[in-house]
Amino acid sequence: MKIFNRIIVILLLAGIVALGVTVVFYIFDVSDYHLEDLSRALGLNGLYDAVNSFVQRAESRSFDVLDIVVLALVALLGLVLLILEFKPPSPRRVRMQQGTYVTRKAVEDEVNAAVEGSHEVLQSNVKVKAQRRPGARVNVTANVRPGENARSVQSDVRDRIQRRLDQVGIPVGNLNVQVRESDPRQTKTRVK
Amino acid sequence: MADDLIQMARAVQDAALATEGVASLGTGRWAEAATYGAGEKVTGVVVSPNEVRVHIVANYPPSEPLQALAERVRQRATSKAGGRPAMVVVEDIEVVQDENL
Repeated sequence: MKIFNRIIVILLLAGIVALGVTVVFYIFDVSDYHLEDLSRALGLNGLYDAVNSFVQRAESRSFDVLDIVVLALVALLGLVLLILEFKPPSPRRVRMQQGTYVTRKAVEDEVNAAVEGSHEVLQSNVKVKAQRRPGARVNVTANVRPGENARSVQSDVRDRIQRRLDQVGIPVGNLNVQVRESDPRQTKTRVK
Repeated sequence: MADDLIQMARAVQDAALATEGVASLGTGRWAEAATYGAGEKVTGVVVSPNEVRVHIVANYPPSEPLQALAERVRQRATSKAGGRPAMVVVEDIEVVQDENL
């Protein structure tokens, strides 16, 4: 279950438990609580009136624009949550072949080693995602000094990563390399 | 039953470690990858009713592509897995220490 849906369900179940306990108190008249007072105690009278008026407007088909917008938003939210719930979770490991996988951390380490080998790169940020099909999705951000030829660094970094992963035998599905100019005083390495 | 699983896990572990290019067996990243028995466990191999999963640490530099190494380990593990499908996870790549250094 997706985390957002899980939170909603937990809140819903907690509310139902709290309501159940409260109702038990009122049903058995524990400590002078009476069932007829429950709606007033929970502040439901206003809600009853609102629901009553809403249903009456629905029956007479006299919705105003705000009602329609709110209903559409609620329906849209429900649809989005439903689609998210049905969407299968993304795989945790990078698939190589049928039954063989490599962890994202191992791929990340290899890519990092390849990128850090470039003299122009002062710092890098590597993100590896597993895909349902074989091969990793690799996103690399390389930080270089201002004034470096970004295009040539990008091509060099891409070649290095491709060579290293080919040498190790890790399939790559998608490789994105971005080059960013950064102040060397704010990067991990100042000089190489 | 648990003894059978432990024996199977040990056989798969031996087969994986005997494969050239495998430095050691991994221990899992978030949860421990192991098969548990009465008072003992086999680390690096998870035997479940549906499959056998082997976590390996490969040598670097590799003598062959990781895909080929993982496939060889998978075939060896399958032969010891008692009909269960085997799955191989390369958990890490470890630089081989030069004994002459």
